[in-house]
Amino acid sequence: MGIIYLMLIVSLVIALIFLVSFFWATKNGQFDDDYTPSVRILFEDELNQKSNNQTDGSSEV
Amino acid sequence: MNALSCYHCGDEVIGKGYYIEEKAFCCNGCKTVYQLLKDNNLGAFYSLEANAGVKPNVSSIHKFAFLEVKSIRDKFIDFEDDQTARTTLFLPQIHCSSCIYLLENLAKIEPNILSCQVNFTKREAVIIFKKEAFTLGQLAVLLDKIGYAPNFGNRSETEKKFDNTYLYKLGVAGFAFGSIMLWSFPEYLGLGTDNPEFRNFTSYLSFAISIPVILYSANDYFISAYKALRFKSLNLDVPITIGIIALYLQSTYSIFAGNGPGYMDSFAGFIFFLLIGKWFQNKTYKTLSFERDYTSYFPVAVTRIVHKTEEITEIENLKINDHILVRNEEVIPCDSILLSDSAKIDYSFVTGESKPINKFKGDFIYAGGKLIGQRIELKVEKESSRSHLTQLWNDVKTDKKNPTSFLYQDKLSAYFLTIILLIALGSGIAWSFIDPTRITQIIVSILIVACPCALALSAPFTFGNVMRLLGRKGLYLKNTRVIETINHITDIVFDKTGTLTKGSSHNVEYIGDELNHDQLEALYSLSNSSTHPLSRSIVRFLRAQNISSNEEITGFDEVSGKGISGTINSLNIKIGNPSFCEQKSIDKNETSSFILINNSTKGRFVYTSELREGISELMTSLHKYTLHVLSGDKDRDKSILEAIFPNNSQLLFEQTPKDKHEYIEKLKNKGKYVLMVGDGLNDAGALGIADVGIAVSEDVFRFTPSSDAIIEANKLSQLANLLSISNFSKTVLKICLLFSVSYNVVGLSFAISGNLTPLVAAILMPISSITIVLLSTLLVRFKK
Repeated sequence: MGIIYLMLIVSLVIALIFLVSFFWATKNGQFDDDYTPSVRILFEDELNQKSNNQTDGSSEV
Repeated sequence: MNALSCYHCGDEVIGKGYYIEEKAFCCNGCKTVYQLLKDNNLGAFYSLEANAGVKPNVSSIHKFAFLEVKSIRDKFIDFEDDQTARTTLFLPQIHCSSCIYLLENLAKIEPNILSCQVNFTKREAVIIFKKEAFTLGQLAVLLDKIGYAPNFGNRSETEKKFDNTYLYKLGVAGFAFGSIMLWSFPEYLGLGTDNPEFRNFTSYLSFAISIPVILYSANDYFISAYKALRFKSLNLDVPITIGIIALYLQSTYSIFAGNGPGYMDSFAGFIFFLLIGKWFQNKTYKTLSFERDYTSYFPVAVTRIVHKTEEITEIENLKINDHILVRNEEVIPCDSILLSDSAKIDYSFVTGESKPINKFKGDFIYAGGKLIGQRIELKVEKESSRSHLTQLWNDVKTDKKNPTSFLYQDKLSAYFLTIILLIALGSGIAWSFIDPTRITQIIVSILIVACPCALALSAPFTFGNVMRLLGRKGLYLKNTRVIETINHITDIVFDKTGTLTKGSSHNVEYIGDELNHDQLEALYSLSNSSTHPLSRSIVRFLRAQNISSNEEITGFDEVSGKGISGTINSLNIKIGNPSFCEQKSIDKNETSSFILINNSTKGRFVYTSELREGISELMTSLHKYTLHVLSGDKDRDKSILEAIFPNNSQLLFEQTPKDKHEYIEKLKNKGKYVLMVGDGLNDAGALGIADVGIAVSEDVFRFTPSSDAIIEANKLSQLANLLSISNFSKTVLKICLLFSVSYNVVGLSFAISGNLTPLVAAILMPISSITIVLLSTLLVRFKK
C-alpha cells in the first residue's frame, strides 16, 4: 500500500513540474505569438540555403 | 480593359506607371521599395505572397523629428547599453508572412540594425540597433520608407499582462483538475470506501489543491457577481457563483467530516472549462487592435518657436499663445489662429468634406485638420486636451449607453435564479416530511447541479465562433456584445461618401465639343502629370477609350486646388475649375473640370460619384430594416439613391456631423435601435452614438475612433448576409439553452431524489459542458 502513496506524490510532483514549466513558458512569451515562428522557420531554411549556395560557388572559383 | 496592378502593393496602376524590367509599379514609392529589396537580395518577399507590399508614404525627415528629443526617445527605448539600443515598435501595417520576412531581414538593408523580431499577433517588432551610428528617428524613417510607418501613439500597457493572467488561471485549474481526477479514480470504480485511510489522505490532498483554484482561478466570477449584486442587477455570473460556492462548501464539509472527497474534481473541472471558454473568446478578437484612439493619430510632438528658434516639444506641453510650426501633411494639433498668410486644410477627418478649405491670416483653425502645402505658423488658442476634436470624441465615448440592460443572458439568469431557488425551496419542504436530516444535503445538491455551466459556456463559444466566421467574411467586431446588439437593430443609417459611393474614384462624363485624337492624347499627358484625384479620374476615363500617350509637356504648371496647364505639341491646354479657366460655372451642384485648348473652351468633364458594387441588391435584401441616408454632400446624387432605396427610406443631404449625431439621437429617443454604417472618420460622432457603429474601411488597419465594428469596403454588399449570420447566433444560443436545460432537468431529478453521488456529478458536468462546446461550434460551422 505504501507504494501507492509514493506514486501519488511522484505524480503530483511531475504535475507540478509541468505547471511550473507552463508558467515559465507563459512568462517568457511562449504563447504571445503563435503565428510568426511558424513562418520564420521557413525563412531561415531559405536563407541558409542561399548562403550555402554562395559558399559552394566561391569554393568552386 | 484589363487594369495593370502594381507588382509591389497590388493597387491599380494608373497612368503610365513606373517600370523596372517588365514589372509595373503604381508609384515611385513602391518602385523604390522594390529596388531596395532587390538590391539587398530580398526578392523572396514577392514569392511568398503576391503583391504583398504596403504602399509607402511620402516620408519626410521632419515627420519623426520628435524622436531626436531625448525625453521622447527614451520612452520608446526598452533597453540600452554602451553600443546598442533595443526598441519595441508598433507597426500596424504588418499583415502577412511577407511582411515578417521583410522586417526580420531589415539588417540586410541597414547594417546598423542588428536584429529585428516580429510579433505578428501584436503587430510589433523588437529591433536592436547600434545607437552610435543610427538613431531611433532614422529607424522610423527607414520603416516608413518601406511602408511600415511606426505608430508612436500611446498603447495600453495592460494588454499583455491581462492575457497572461488568463493562461496562468487556466494552468492552475487544469493542474488541479487532472491531479484530483487521478487520485479520485478508485472513487469512480466504487472502491472509495475500501481503504478509508487512503481515501482520507487523497481527500485532504484534493482540498489543498483546490484552494488556489477557488482563490485564484475562479476569482473573476466572484468579482463579477459581486459587482452585479452591488448594482442590484443579475448577470449569469451570479448563479454560477452560487453553484461554485455550494459545490466547494459541500465538498469541503464532506472532506472534513470524513465522508469522502466530495465533488472537488467536478469543481476544478468546471472552473477549467469555464476559463477555456473565456480564453477562446478573448483570443478571437485579440488579433484586431481597437486600441488606436485619436491620440495615436495626432502627432506625438510639435515644433514650437521660442525666441525665433525651433524646438520640438510634446503636445501636452503646449500652452495658450505658443507659436507652433506645422508642415505639409501634418495634423493641426490644437485649436489655433493662423499667423501665416494662407493655408489649405483638409478637414475630411472631422467634417467629411473632401475638398480642402482655404484659411487666411487671422482665421481660427480647428484641431484635426491636415495641412496641405506650405508650412504655416500658428498661435495656440486652446490646449490640446480641450480641443474641438477631443471634445467631440470624448463626448461620444461617455454618451454611449451601456447596452447591458437588454443582454439576453442576463435577463435569462434572473428567471433561472428564481426557478432554481423555488425548486430548492420546494424540495426542502418536501424533504422535511420525508427525512429532515437530509434537507441541507438536498438543497446543496440542487444548487450544485443547477449551476448553469453549460449555459455559461454556450454564449462565449457561440459568439466567439460567430465572430471568427464574420471576421473571415470581412466584418470585424469589437466584442461579442456587438452581436447581441445587432440582433435588436430596427433602423440602418448609411453615410453616403465613402460608404455607399467609392471613396476616391469618380465616374467621369465628358460634355462638350468632340475632341480629336491628338487633343485627347494631349489631355491624357497633361492629366497624367498630376496626382490630383480628379486628374487620375480623367486619366482612367481616357484610358478606357484606349487613349495613351507619353508626350513631352512644356511649361507645366499646377495651381493647387484649381487646375493644371501646359503645352503639348503646340496645343496649349488648361484643365481646371471654372475660375481657373475663366468660365462661369454651369451648375453649382456639379463637380466639373473645364477644358481650354489654345484659349477656346472645348467642354468639361463632369464627375459623379460611383456607387459601390452590389449596393442596390443590398438595399433590397435589407428590406426588413428601415433605411436612412445621411449625406454631407449636396443633393446631386439624390436621383441615383432614390432609385435604389426602398420608398419608405429617408434621404437627407447637406448634413453636418452634428446633424448626423442629432438625427441618430432622435431615432434612438423614438425607441429604435440604430445601426450606422459610415467611413469611420468624418462621422465618428454619429458612429459612436449609434447602437452599433460600423466603419467601412478600404484597409482594415485604418484608424476607427468610435466604431463597434469594421467592415472591409468590398464586403459591404454582403452586409445583409453578415447581419443574418449574426442573428443566427441567437438561434444557436437557443438550441444550446435547450440542451443545457435538459441536462439540468436530469441533474435536478437526481438531486431532488437525493441520489446525486459524486460519480453522477463527475459524469454529468463535463459531459454537459463538452456537448455545448461541440454543439455551438458545429452549428456555426454548418451555417457557413
